[in-house]
Amino acid sequence: MMSGRLRSLAGWAAAFLGLSAVSFVMASYPLELYQKMLLVVTLAIGFNFLFGISGQIAFSHIAFYGIGAYAVVILSHRLGLPLAVALAGAVAICALLAAVVAIPATRLEGFYLALATLAFAQLFIVAVSAGGKLTGGDEGISGYQLPPLFGAKLAGAAYTPVIVFVLLATLGLILRFDRSWFGRACRAVRDNPLAAQAMGVDVARTKIVVFVLASTLAGVAGMAYAFLNNFISPPIFELDRIFELLFMIVIGGTGRHAGAVAGAILLYSVQFAVEPIVGKFHPLIYGLVVVLVILFAPKGLMGLWDAAAARVRASRGRAP
Amino acid sequence: MAELGELLVSAVAAGCIYGLMALAYLLILRPTGIINFALGEWAMLGAFAAVAASGDLLLPALQLPHAAAFAVVLVVTGLIGALVEVATVRPLVERGAPLLSPILALLGVLVVGLQVGTLVGGTEALPSPPPFGFRRVELGPFAGTPQSYYTIAVTLGVFIAAWVFFERTIWGKRFEAVAINRRAAALMGINLRQVGLLAFAASGMVCGVVGMLAAGASGAFYQMGLPLAIQGFTALVIGGVGRVEGALLGGLILGLVEALAARYLPIPPTLVLGVPLVLLILFLLVRPTGLLKAREGGA
Amino acid sequence: MTAGEPLLAVRDVTRRFGGLIAVDGLSFDLAPGEILGLIGPNGAGKSTTFNLVAGALRPDTGSIRLAGEEIAGLRPHEVARRGIMRTFQHNMPFEGMSVTENVLVGAHTRMAQGLGAVLLGTGAARRAEADALASARDLIRFVGLDEWRDADVATLSFGQGRLLETARALAGKPSILLFDEPAAGLTPDECDRLGGVIRDIAARGIAVLLIEHDMRFLLPLAHRVVVLNFGRKIADGGPDSIQSDPAVVEAYLGEPGDAHAGATDA
Repeated sequence: MMSGRLRSLAGWAAAFLGLSAVSFVMASYPLELYQKMLLVVTLAIGFNFLFGISGQIAFSHIAFYGIGAYAVVILSHRLGLPLAVALAGAVAICALLAAVVAIPATRLEGFYLALATLAFAQLFIVAVSAGGKLTGGDEGISGYQLPPLFGAKLAGAAYTPVIVFVLLATLGLILRFDRSWFGRACRAVRDNPLAAQAMGVDVARTKIVVFVLASTLAGVAGMAYAFLNNFISPPIFELDRIFELLFMIVIGGTGRHAGAVAGAILLYSVQFAVEPIVGKFHPLIYGLVVVLVILFAPKGLMGLWDAAAARVRASRGRAP
Repeated sequence: MAELGELLVSAVAAGCIYGLMALAYLLILRPTGIINFALGEWAMLGAFAAVAASGDLLLPALQLPHAAAFAVVLVVTGLIGALVEVATVRPLVERGAPLLSPILALLGVLVVGLQVGTLVGGTEALPSPPPFGFRRVELGPFAGTPQSYYTIAVTLGVFIAAWVFFERTIWGKRFEAVAINRRAAALMGINLRQVGLLAFAASGMVCGVVGMLAAGASGAFYQMGLPLAIQGFTALVIGGVGRVEGALLGGLILGLVEALAARYLPIPPTLVLGVPLVLLILFLLVRPTGLLKAREGGA
Repeated sequence: MTAGEPLLAVRDVTRRFGGLIAVDGLSFDLAPGEILGLIGPNGAGKSTTFNLVAGALRPDTGSIRLAGEEIAGLRPHEVARRGIMRTFQHNMPFEGMSVTENVLVGAHTRMAQGLGAVLLGTGAARRAEADALASARDLIRFVGLDEWRDADVATLSFGQGRLLETARALAGKPSILLFDEPAAGLTPDECDRLGGVIRDIAARGIAVLLIEHDMRFLLPLAHRVVVLNFGRKIADGGPDSIQSDPAVVEAYLGEPGDAHAGATDA
């Protein structure tokens, strides 16, 4: 029992060191892309829990990413609060706003939740753009930076461990929840709310807790983004990005953690692969691929992987 | 008073556009239960088609007379709707995939449409000369551009046609039968394929009307789709998804609230953009029962 | 439970839908280990009664007490939490999950650990999880689905789905189990199997309330039968005594496959 726990702890530690270490050999441009990719993966893991596992079509995930980023920068640099207080305050703001959205919105079925959260996300962009001095309006906020930690400046490659920590903490937390009664309740609510209720699951409460949890995790990722290159502005958190996030989940395999990670890495990287061919129109490829996946491989990459693995097992079974 | 009269005409014209977008949603939502988020992009493509057919910016050789250009736009967007239905929605519906699958696929179509629009039209707004010039036309206490009156007239025409279709034709009855119960309708011999195809094609054509009218008022721009999509479903939610008249009513309410807020609310103009969003959220929260009832009918 | 208080006491319960009185002043009791059948012609108020007990509907007047506690008007998940679990007439599995996971959802109300304990992976949380898994496996064996315990629920037959629903409801360790027309859609063999399972459940001291159309299934199984007509109770007694009750015979007159004919066949 204990050795299993130790082994798993060692695995997490190795992942932390490995994912952090590679960034120290990178030039500055790939480093920035790498760090951004880690945050996209973090967002995808959280969004998969909300959309894939719990079945909530919420378009507000990127907005909460932005709320976290703006909250921590405004609290720490506009209002001059100590960083620890600003971080805690930003978490509280995300959780509170998420609860305010979730308590009424999760009563809405299916795509009406999508409409409400889409309006909320757009409202966030409008509010930030119109926020004057506080949010910096369309120009955003720049020229701030993290205070040094133990004398070390958390910039460039030295900032990667912070992002990796956020990624692994998000993944660890969600895996823990998903593999418990809570994760089963979430899936039950997604698959059949009526039956879930009859099994004693408080459907409304489960939806609210999931929404607040996932949105707050997105906010934390946003806080990490805020200090990635010390610049935030409304376009970074535009509505289009929620579609990309959704496509990552669908292409990876809705409801699968590994699928979310694979889908995020794939879609994030593919834009650089196709850029020489289609230029800035890489979303065109996203759109086409997602339609093709829904049509021909509805379980996404993980579905294809499962099918391939089953075929390998079957042929091995036959061979001896 | 004169100022209010002018405000009303432009607000009603804007509301007509929103009402048409709501109608475009409704045409698909009623018989299929699918909400098509890509409609805004279809309207954007319609606007570019309008610029190409009537103006001299995209296809200088063409310069069709207005009526012909209008027909071209309707054919283009109607074909887009039909094509999308055949290629993406129909296979999913016939496979028995959950309703979410076509909705997600249409989000993919949205992104494709946005990129195609950018490829065709570039990222600069393309002006399109309004077909009836820029004069100021006064009708009693009301005043506005010919384009505003034209928009109102065309919208009324479309809604009357839609009303006649649903209330007076056998095809409209088929739509309603499918909306109420797909299985029963199929058992009664209604061809679900035809209804689905017609719904998407008609919705596309209504988007074409929106594109045509919007281009005449403010030109074509690659980012015009998302606002139209959001305003359209806001109008739909306000008016209720059950009836054709609701779409127009919702659009008019939204247009008026938007214009009055911009004129009289003491908030910065950039924040006025948030007013319809707040309206949408309020309506979703205050009237969810009405919505759910209609949704069951649509699903 | 106070002395003399039945496990479930339904008292003078009335429920209207608009002008229609679906259930009219209904009272009945249910004791631990008892199998109670609720029958009546179509529209007699069986389903309404079922939904009132399950918390899906709220009575207009009257009381429903579980071991002395008023449960009328509680929501379904609150009723489940107090030990009344149910199955559905049309199977309602959680489609994205395996058979074992489905049964584990049934144990939801037994997982008392908060999210904090889950996050920290406390010993109590781990033990609760392990216990739930062990008892889910037992229940799957009990209903005879052992072979399919890791299968996708989509691969189960309709009859197996009914057994899965039974195991899922049992996982909540209920004091009362409600069956909504359990025999509907089952083959005769599957009916026999399910009847045996229901008898075993009652033998464990769990009270069983079932509404059923199929008298051949119900009458040999039930210890007691309550007959409803137009929302009112017209008979309450052993399966033999209600068959000869003139009020019951009259209520079923003209109904094909009625209580009397069904009973004599059985």
